[in-house]
Amino acid sequence: MRSERSRFELWFLALFALVILVILPGLNAFTSAASALHVSDFTINLYGKYLCYAVLAISVDLLWGYTGLLSLGQCLFFALGGYAFGMYLMLMIGKLGQYHSNLPDFMVFLGYPRLPAHWVPFRHFWFAALAVMWVPGLVAYIFGFLAFRSRIRGVYFSILTQALTYAACLMFFRNDFTFGGNNGLTDFKFVLGYDLRSAATQRVLYLLTGVLLFATYGFCRWLTSSKFGKVQRAIRDSENRVLFSGYSTPNFKLFVFVVCAVIAGLAGALYVPQVGIINPSEMATDKSLEVIVWVAVGGRGTLIGPIIGAIVVNAIKSWATRAFPDLWLFILGGMFILVVLFLPGGIVSLPERLGELARKFRRARAAVPEPVADSAEAKPAPEPDRT
Amino acid sequence: MSHPILNVEDVTKTYDGFKAISNLTFYLFKGELRTVIGPNGAGKSTFFDLLTGRAKPDSGTIVFGQNTDLTSMNEYQINRLGIGRKFQTPSVYTDHTVWENLLLSLKGPRGVFATLFSRTTAAQRGRIDELLETIRLGEKRHWLAGQLAHGEKQWLEIGMLLAQEPEVLLVDEPAAGMTDEETARTGELLISLAGKHTIVVVEHDMTFVKQIARDGTVTVLHQGSVLCEGTFDFVQSHPRVREVYLGRGK
Amino acid sequence: MNPLPRPILFLLLTLGLLTPRLLAGPGTEAEVRHDLVLTLLSHGPERHELLHQLARSGSKVAASVLTSWTRGEIYAYRTPGGKTIPVTLEEQEDAKGLARAIRIDTGAVLVDAKGKALKFDDSTLDTIDTDMRLRMDIQQAIDVLSLASPVPDERRSAAVKLGNSGKMAYLPYLEERLTEEKIADVRRTIEEAIATLKLGSSDPSVQIKAARNLARLNALGAVDVLTQFVANKSADPDALAAARIALRSIQEHISLVNFFGTLFRGVSLGSILLVVSLGLAITFGLMGVINMAHGEMIAVGAYTAYLVENIFGSGITLPFFGFGLHVPGLHATGSFYESNFIFAIPASFVTAAIAGLVLERLVIRFLYRRPLESLLATWGVSLVMQQGFRMVFGANNVQVDSPSWLLGHFSIDDVMFGYNRVFVVGFAIAIVLGTWLLLTKTPLGLLIRSVMQNRRMASCMGVRTDWVNMLTFAFGSGLAGLAGAFLSQIGNVGPSMGQTYIVDSFMVVVVGGVGSIVGTVYASLGMGSADQVLQQVLGSPVLGKIIVLCFIILFLQWKPGGLFATRSRNLD
Repeated sequence: MRSERSRFELWFLALFALVILVILPGLNAFTSAASALHVSDFTINLYGKYLCYAVLAISVDLLWGYTGLLSLGQCLFFALGGYAFGMYLMLMIGKLGQYHSNLPDFMVFLGYPRLPAHWVPFRHFWFAALAVMWVPGLVAYIFGFLAFRSRIRGVYFSILTQALTYAACLMFFRNDFTFGGNNGLTDFKFVLGYDLRSAATQRVLYLLTGVLLFATYGFCRWLTSSKFGKVQRAIRDSENRVLFSGYSTPNFKLFVFVVCAVIAGLAGALYVPQVGIINPSEMATDKSLEVIVWVAVGGRGTLIGPIIGAIVVNAIKSWATRAFPDLWLFILGGMFILVVLFLPGGIVSLPERLGELARKFRRARAAVPEPVADSAEAKPAPEPDRT
Repeated sequence: MSHPILNVEDVTKTYDGFKAISNLTFYLFKGELRTVIGPNGAGKSTFFDLLTGRAKPDSGTIVFGQNTDLTSMNEYQINRLGIGRKFQTPSVYTDHTVWENLLLSLKGPRGVFATLFSRTTAAQRGRIDELLETIRLGEKRHWLAGQLAHGEKQWLEIGMLLAQEPEVLLVDEPAAGMTDEETARTGELLISLAGKHTIVVVEHDMTFVKQIARDGTVTVLHQGSVLCEGTFDFVQSHPRVREVYLGRGK
Repeated sequence: MNPLPRPILFLLLTLGLLTPRLLAGPGTEAEVRHDLVLTLLSHGPERHELLHQLARSGSKVAASVLTSWTRGEIYAYRTPGGKTIPVTLEEQEDAKGLARAIRIDTGAVLVDAKGKALKFDDSTLDTIDTDMRLRMDIQQAIDVLSLASPVPDERRSAAVKLGNSGKMAYLPYLEERLTEEKIADVRRTIEEAIATLKLGSSDPSVQIKAARNLARLNALGAVDVLTQFVANKSADPDALAAARIALRSIQEHISLVNFFGTLFRGVSLGSILLVVSLGLAITFGLMGVINMAHGEMIAVGAYTAYLVENIFGSGITLPFFGFGLHVPGLHATGSFYESNFIFAIPASFVTAAIAGLVLERLVIRFLYRRPLESLLATWGVSLVMQQGFRMVFGANNVQVDSPSWLLGHFSIDDVMFGYNRVFVVGFAIAIVLGTWLLLTKTPLGLLIRSVMQNRRMASCMGVRTDWVNMLTFAFGSGLAGLAGAFLSQIGNVGPSMGQTYIVDSFMVVVVGGVGSIVGTVYASLGMGSADQVLQQVLGSPVLGKIIVLCFIILFLQWKPGGLFATRSRNLD
């Protein structure tokens, strides 16, 4: 049954890739605005955002669904990636800012005499592109090293990641932290000399995000099907057994944590030029929890689930915040409660659940008393590790 | 047989003022099948915790082989030395198949990158088949471990332990929750392993202890230290043992 | 120095008001008015003498009349009989721009023979003129007047004012007042004022004495004067040295005061954290449930306090999902209105407990021992509740006024203790004691502890574990409600107020060790103090918070289970 689902997943993804990477951008570029088939620049931009979210959601799921590490701070890494690339974009504005200075506007406003030393290398695209990965990776490494070394697990880990994010968020809100305080970095103009406001640049960014999404998917699929992936899931289900089998679980968790931070950083880096702003509110704990909703709704412990969840929930959000702005939080909160309580497997598990229901229904109609040997039904949800 | 494989000398461990282990001295010789019995709270589980690095002793020394100090090592380092542990409650990877459970336990490199690029070899497959034979789960190799019955999980965990090819096997109440027939089979398996491996079994079930102890040494723990040591018959007839343990049981 | 509890202070104050004579020297109001008229109608040096006498009366009437006089608002009305009556005009004018006149000698309205009020235009009356010198004398009298006021606080601030004026002319008044002053606190301020003035003397020996006195008094207010004095190189070297010593000793005293002040603020912040976290520690330790909606339970308590206050007042109209729900008020006044907070405390506990009960029945009970899932589901609940608050009470923060008996402060050796903060500390102690008693001395506590230690066994022994869970969860939520009630006295009440405290209180629980009440106490006090101390040292609340968080992460390296880890011997 697993392989069947896996084959279905691949077909679905191929179709999805066709739509995302070929049809949508094609319709955007090669049809006229008047045409009924035309996909607007706005839509492309919106989907670009969703795709970034999907990559972020995969990184959360790789941690939570596969390793049992519920991080409430994944948006921190997303935002760090965003900031790293935002710094480059900020320096590319040049003298076109409000103050016509070589310094970014906020630095002129706050009276900086010159560019702070750690900003200087971000003039180079290559440096920023690498920083997008190593900055989140390094932060994750330091934090993860400390947390996993002292065997912080389960809910404690969640609470600590929340605290880390909270601390970082407070720090970025400060003006003297040299990252623009609560306004963050914005008013970007160029990337590698291309105008960010042109539809073509945005389309390329969108395509890059699509490529990143499928590359991430492929990488994670390889990772999770390797022996490493098996150890990863074993840690989730019985960490002590893994530890007493000679695997250094702290190292495994650290590796996953860093990999996920890098993935989130990449997603953030592509998110910023498409949205045009990065500020500390992007790394607030609330945002990270929202990502967890996407994963939960889509279906954790699968790679397709987070992608579906990110797109579905955000599509609902876009619609609901316009149609019923007051009710959006009710919807989001309610969705979360319902999924956790009644659909732990998320949307992905719906066909199975429905099939099960149908079987039960048929059985009830046939009125044949059956033994309770239905293993799929009797199987309890894996219990998370307790300390 | 001259030098003990495991030297535990004068070890004390206190939890919140309660002495779980006090001045325990214990020697284990290569190839031995040692049975450890003792009433509840005698410190059997804590003893295993100390041996496997889950807990650190307050004082005393634990030396493995010639001169490897275990007190400064953690769980996975000790395991890599060749000390395997089976838990009281069966602990298997519920979301993996029986086959995968064994694969993950096979002796081999344990590093992060080693597992990333590892491929399952024919030799490994052969070894897993062998193990499946031993633990009689060949038919259920593709079942998820979570779907197995309690006794089968116990067997699977023993199989996972064997897959690690450890020198010393620490087995915590292997017969718990098993039918009489399964218990007897477990006993046979343990006996057949003795010699090749060095085994310590903690057990409550006296019939089972009698079965596996044969003429080997039985250690009685009481209040965190060794009450007496000897053959099953010796221990059973020891007045102090009867008083604290057997006497109450019968 | 006044470590007296509030009620006794009130009593003293009331007594003081009833018998102003004891404190304020001779003169009933009638006598003062008589003196005032005499002064107004007198001339030359006699006036000076009379003013001097008035200054010692401490009378409010005298102060206000004298103030009017300097502004030229005292007029001389000549009766048909040729008598001169000093009057002042009411502010309220009629349509013709005329106002009634108030007699200075009686304080009554000026009437004609038929008893009809006389009305005047201010230009038709002669003002009782003052000149420059007289005005200075009057001003001096006004300043000195408050020095004899029946209210100790006014006397104190008058002394401070006179002391900082630098005018040696005030010296005799201050010295005279000192001989009469009974209240130690005020005495000290007057002595301080005298010493400060004397520092401005031209005689070095007086200056030295003054400096020594200032040092002895730990005169906080004299730092500026002393600093100026020390900077003046032309002063007498001995006096300079004495001033330097005085300055140093006062600065040491200031840092000591700051230290204890910070410590006290730390303890009071810690107490808030304690009450907020206690409920969390219980639900987490007991049920293995992480309640992210705990912060919203705080808000429930705070909003209850808000509602109770408004019900005692004039009622309120809530937005309530756009329907405009009107909650009628009792229009209470006086001490009954002031007591609203007393009613708000149990009401907050009960409402939050009921909210907790509902939450437990609807969501939590499916999630026992599944901390991660409970964390997620309750986060959903917290979102729903926050939005609910927004729609019921409005998106803006609301203000809950503190009852007057929680305002103000007392000070011990210059360290200020705000009543609300002292109340918070006392309240926290009471809650911890109550919780401890509940858990250890009551049958319910026994049940709770048994379920906490071994759920299955307790259930086998016939304990209705789900019932115990329900009550415990309700209790934990009720504690959050209590926290909310007194947070409403300290800060704003708003839909997302709970979020401010939730991260900190989770940290407290983790640092203290899950399920350990003692650990929670230590951790919250420690974190509260560390936060305040770092804030003081670094001068930035944010940086302090960040350092505390980093410190916690490092602390967990050393003790992963928290301060008081409950060690489990089980593996999984």
